[in-house]
Amino acid sequence: MASIDLRSVSKLYPNGSYGVRDVDLRIENGEFVIFLGPSGCGKSTTLRMIAGLESISAGDLLIGERNMNRVAPRDRNVAVVFQSYALYPHMSVRANMGFGLKMRGASVQDIASKTEAAASLLGLSHLLDRKPAALSGGQRQRVALGRAIVREPDVFLLDEPLSNLDAQLRAEMRLELVKLHRRLGRTTIHVTHDQVEAMTMGDRICIMRDGQLIQAGRPLDVYADPVNLFVARFLASPAMNLLPMRLKDESGVLVIEGSDGFRFTMPQRHAAAYAARAGTTVILGLRPEDIYEAPQGARTQPFDLAVTAVEALGAEIIVLGTVGGGMEKPMEVTARLSRHAHVQVGETVRLHADLLPAHLFDPQSEQAIARPSIRGAA
Amino acid sequence: MNAETEKPPLGRRLALHVGLIAACLAIVLPLLWVLRVSFIPPQQSYSTDLLPGFSTENYQALLSGRFGRSYLNSIVVSLGSVLLALPFAAMTGYAFARFSTGGRFARFLMLATQMLPPVALVLPSFTLLKGLALTNSLTGLIIVYAAVNLPFLTWILMGFFKAIPVDLEWAALTDGATAWGAFWRIVLPVSLPGLAAAGVLGFILSWNEFLFALVLSGPSTQTIPVALAALQTSNGVQIGSVAAGVVLAVLPLVIASRFIQRFIVEGLTYGSVK
Repeated sequence: MASIDLRSVSKLYPNGSYGVRDVDLRIENGEFVIFLGPSGCGKSTTLRMIAGLESISAGDLLIGERNMNRVAPRDRNVAVVFQSYALYPHMSVRANMGFGLKMRGASVQDIASKTEAAASLLGLSHLLDRKPAALSGGQRQRVALGRAIVREPDVFLLDEPLSNLDAQLRAEMRLELVKLHRRLGRTTIHVTHDQVEAMTMGDRICIMRDGQLIQAGRPLDVYADPVNLFVARFLASPAMNLLPMRLKDESGVLVIEGSDGFRFTMPQRHAAAYAARAGTTVILGLRPEDIYEAPQGARTQPFDLAVTAVEALGAEIIVLGTVGGGMEKPMEVTARLSRHAHVQVGETVRLHADLLPAHLFDPQSEQAIARPSIRGAA
Repeated sequence: MNAETEKPPLGRRLALHVGLIAACLAIVLPLLWVLRVSFIPPQQSYSTDLLPGFSTENYQALLSGRFGRSYLNSIVVSLGSVLLALPFAAMTGYAFARFSTGGRFARFLMLATQMLPPVALVLPSFTLLKGLALTNSLTGLIIVYAAVNLPFLTWILMGFFKAIPVDLEWAALTDGATAWGAFWRIVLPVSLPGLAAAGVLGFILSWNEFLFALVLSGPSTQTIPVALAALQTSNGVQIGSVAAGVVLAVLPLVIASRFIQRFIVEGLTYGSVK
């Protein structure tokens, strides 16, 4: 059992570029944390530094309050599940799973009983004498997990373990990993670039970009209140609409305007937070699901969308279109409507936007303009 | 598309096949000729008949002389040099592949040794061995062959080690292995096909080597290439014996090349667990 403490951890490569820069993060004992970010953002590098597979250029890493900067991987009591699974191809499943125990000098009986227990937990009992090459992708994935479980490590480090599985298997394993975490209660870090995994699996997500930790928080908090344009764009698909518009003070009422036909009154609740920005251009961040086909009481405000594409996904309809026809460069807007909506390409429909959950961003700094969160409120 | 348009016209196909067969014969015929000469009586070695007679006389004559001893010498020297060189090549190759030990310069230095003509190395080798009283000994030859083949074997193994996913070693390290443990228990077993391929290549290199063997061996320690060359005496070339000797000398290589093929193919598919 162990917490993990990253204190201004950096990875500096010999060519002078940073793989990871000044990451500060405390992961509590038993927590399930997701590292999310695009390729090359430093999430896997951070994971490998925690495992001891990459050296730490600056800062301190503590596992269970003990400084691990110079401790060999084998003495950190962490287990890693790799994207490639990294099963030892010349060993049977049994030997693969027992390797860690063998290296730690466990007795033959101990190895056998623990391996079999882990195998039955993962439904691998009938495969114990096979070589990895004779297993399917999903089975290999389980063996890799089993190899990690058998050793009863303090920390599980999962480096995109589901990315090589097909969609259905991935969904199954996602649930299974969460169950496993609940059962074993070990501190777990799961690296992924899959948003569904990020939103559904962890207690917390940490969004990384260019080697830096951009935002860490509970998944729904991060989703509701992204700190900058990157997080707003990155989390969720379809992504948040980001529309450059002008914020105006019209005799005490805060209005945001794109063109003559595309303007909204800012919710009273946020007026105080945004008043100082009146008269400047800001970027309105509006989630596609905050746009409705029918008015939702006083909360929503109408606008017209010239529909350019419709994607019927079954459970819902994604509508793409443009607003502000009179402008030089019409803005594109994506809306996520219920499957009952009737929308045709080429027509202009009246939709209704809820501005209460929306955010405003500063176009220069790309940071969200601070406002009180509406999470927890109706 | 019908069958006729799929195949090139008959004339072109014919020409293609004639050309290919001619090319094959150009390679195979000399070998078949050697095989033929080895099995006909020595008096008729230069006969133009297809098969003027069959006899194993050449082989008997050859094996009654010192050739058997040379054969054994070649086996001992080739095998010995491979067994001596391979562990060093494996460790060096791994260090180059995984840790970039010595950087580019070390790798260049290693390749540079291969650019020297062998003749430039013969005299220093002789002087060194003479100081150690190892001229005219199989041990001396084994050491020299191991040294000469080391860069080449290292280079080959470096390629094999590079192709092994580093995840495997990382998994072993987090599983509790030391760096040496990961090398010994994971990297080496996984690269067994590569080690075998490198071993066979090293064996062939030593087996065929002539210059060092000529200078460094004596009558009792000469290897096959030297023994075969010795059959070209001032009384003429004993072509029947030479042919028999060539056939015997090629035999292990034919077997080895079968192996190396299997291992290389295996090596390409073995480690790929994804």
